[in-house]
Amino acid sequence: MFTPGSKYLIAITGLSAVSFALYMLLVHPSALGAVALIGLVAATSLITGVALFTRDGHTPDGQTSAATVDTPTPSMWPLVGAAGFALLLVGTITTPIVFIFGIVAIFAALVEWTVQAWSEGASGDNAYNASIRQRILNPIEYPILAAVGIAVIIFSFSRVMLATNKDAGAIIFIVVAAVVSVVGMLISLRPSLKKGIIGTIAVVAAVGLVGAGIASMGVGMREDLVVAAEEDHYAHQECGEEKSEHFDKGVSETISATSGVDATIELIDGKLTAQVQGIEGLQDSITVRRSNPSNIIFRNKDAGEFRLKANLGKKQIADGVMEEVVTCTQLISEGAEQWLTLTINKPSVSGEPYTLSIPGLKGQSIVVVVP
Amino acid sequence: MTLVNRLGGVICRLKSLILGTAGTVFLASCGRNAPQDTFQPKGPNAQKIDTLQKPVFAVAGIIGVIVAVAVVYSMVKFRDRGQPIPKQSHGNPALEITLTIIPALILAVVGVFTFRTVFDLNKTSDTQMIINVTGQQWWWEYDYPANNEYGITQPIITSGQLVIPVGTKVMLRETSRDVIHSYWIPALNGKRDAVPGRITTNRIEADEPGIYAGQCTEFCGLSHANMRMEAVALSKEDFAKWVANQLKPYAAPAESTLAKEGETVFLNQCTRCHQVNGLTRADGTPVIAAPDENVWSGAAPNLSHLMSRNTFAGAMFNLVTPECRTDVWKSESVTFGAKYLAGVDEPCLNQTDLRGWLRNAPAMKPMYANPALLAATGGKYRGMPNLGLSESDIEKLVAYLLTLK
Ligand code: HEC
Ligand SMILES: [Cu+2]
Repeated sequence: MFTPGSKYLIAITGLSAVSFALYMLLVHPSALGAVALIGLVAATSLITGVALFTRDGHTPDGQTSAATVDTPTPSMWPLVGAAGFALLLVGTITTPIVFIFGIVAIFAALVEWTVQAWSEGASGDNAYNASIRQRILNPIEYPILAAVGIAVIIFSFSRVMLATNKDAGAIIFIVVAAVVSVVGMLISLRPSLKKGIIGTIAVVAAVGLVGAGIASMGVGMREDLVVAAEEDHYAHQECGEEKSEHFDKGVSETISATSGVDATIELIDGKLTAQVQGIEGLQDSITVRRSNPSNIIFRNKDAGEFRLKANLGKKQIADGVMEEVVTCTQLISEGAEQWLTLTINKPSVSGEPYTLSIPGLKGQSIVVVVP
Repeated sequence: MTLVNRLGGVICRLKSLILGTAGTVFLASCGRNAPQDTFQPKGPNAQKIDTLQKPVFAVAGIIGVIVAVAVVYSMVKFRDRGQPIPKQSHGNPALEITLTIIPALILAVVGVFTFRTVFDLNKTSDTQMIINVTGQQWWWEYDYPANNEYGITQPIITSGQLVIPVGTKVMLRETSRDVIHSYWIPALNGKRDAVPGRITTNRIEADEPGIYAGQCTEFCGLSHANMRMEAVALSKEDFAKWVANQLKPYAAPAESTLAKEGETVFLNQCTRCHQVNGLTRADGTPVIAAPDENVWSGAAPNLSHLMSRNTFAGAMFNLVTPECRTDVWKSESVTFGAKYLAGVDEPCLNQTDLRGWLRNAPAMKPMYANPALLAATGGKYRGMPNLGLSESDIEKLVAYLLTLK
């Protein structure tokens, strides 16, 4: 009458009913708690009813293979799983990356171990069991291992390229590429070559590459990259007519610039105009939100190279010393376009109007209104 | 209280709970006083959704009933009584193909109409007015770019209640200053997420003057459930009056009044977050608030015309007393505009909640505003902190806020 499954479910239903009763009697009943508990009672009693009715979905003549014999083979996955838990614990008190490694290890162990254990119950033939394990897991293992391998190669190699100067980098690139293709050619010309030799070459190459990568990381990036990374665009303020390589770094601040255009600014026939989605016609002023990154596209449709410059008022840099706050796009040629991201924290009422203008082009500007 | 009494109470509560739950589910479909009912469209966009969803709902309902009945029937008919397994339909191609094609056809038909509606609702080309809608924890800010056709010569900024003219195709350009929020006025259109770094558009239009309620529908943290909003539709003439009022310059309170003292308290305590356009210091320099330095999202509500709204703190509280609010909500659409435009004056002011807010805002609305716990946000508040004001300061502030019409 009472199948094992329904006994278990009856117990849960009973417990939830008791906890509901206790909650109503002893705890100050809040609507939310009461609804949650009565919901639990309703849900479990429904499942209990179904289980009772269908007798756990039990079919009397269902059978398992008589050939199934427990023959567990040694496995490294419990060990990996345990290491994963250790990493998880260490990760919670140190850095998140360790925690992530722990999760990955546990997840891998979970999948691999489950499939292995399952495959070992499939038949009494260990070779057959191993083959079905591979059939299921290889399509997952190979791409993941390949991706990890490629990532390691790219990461190590890129560290080397960041550390060496531009000319040496080109030479290293050519030499490495040549060596790879020559070695590959030699191997393919001699198919009789022992697997061991090829393996040794691959291991030596991998260790060499990773070693070079680690060494390069120790050396650090080359001088000009360090300077570029530290460079503060606002300190340079090279937003005039000169050709400079400085430009708006804020552009990358937004998640997805293309889906958040506040305005499109065009330079045509020496005239600066603005277009705003939802407003018909060309504008000479745009409204952007206060304290929020706003994206502006600048299109140069005039002959010659121009940049768009945003004049964002003044700020005090020392007692009584005011400095103009500006940002700009790069110089762009006819037909090109660039992004500018403005974050203005003070409303327009705070003094001089904010404007967009083109250095070297007099009398053309777009007013930026911040409510 | 005896145990019997107590049990009686519990049973009563239980009964009303169960009856209440069932009743609510049943009555929700026909409630008339349900301001956020999706079944009561009040504008063309919501109407389009309604026209689509009603037949789909009906078809899905019929199919749902058929499936449920079939499942129960099979369970009863074929329950395990030790009988042999009945004949199986597996391997009957004709039946299987039919059972695949029928749902596919139903879905295809629903799909065609759905896509048509989706594209219809996304149309922006005939927009008549744009309003920037910015979400942040846990209130909405609205700013109206200059628009000569509607007399908006200077941008207008407000919060909590979105004011629009009736019969006008309004495009909301939504974004967020912190996390993802979602803007939804069920009577006027579907919901649209407000995502930081993106601008999403949402078209609304109201047929009749009135107030249409909504709330944030993307979980956005502690006070998500308290992040509400209302759209207030005014006739075109009334909207023009509203605009004129929003553009009215700042009028400082008269010297040696309580309100004037309140202005001083406001200058000291509130202007580091709240902007009041036109407010100046004693030396005549304009006061520019710095919410970007004090609030995590970088914004706090602009209070220039606080008393022109009927709600505050993300429309969680009424700025007017319940009687005055009912008076506005329930009035005929002809008189509604005038009543709304009257704004809030002293007899109508909801003193209890406003004073409570000034006394200890985080106690009224859960916010991350404990100065001791701001490490994660670099010392910035998410919400309005408890400023520890004295009762006499609150008295003065209320007098001052009442002048911000
Ligand atoms: C640290 C910044 C900060 C300070 C200081 C501050 N507030 Fe606030 N205030 C806020 C924020 C943020 C909100 C929005 C909270 C919400 O709705 O979730 C708010 C909301 C309000 C509102 C509701 C406005 C609306 O339209 O919804 C009023 C009224 C208000 N504050 C008054 C004051 C007064 C008066 C003072 C000075 C005594 C003050 N505030 C000081 C940050 C601040
Ligand atoms: Cu929200």
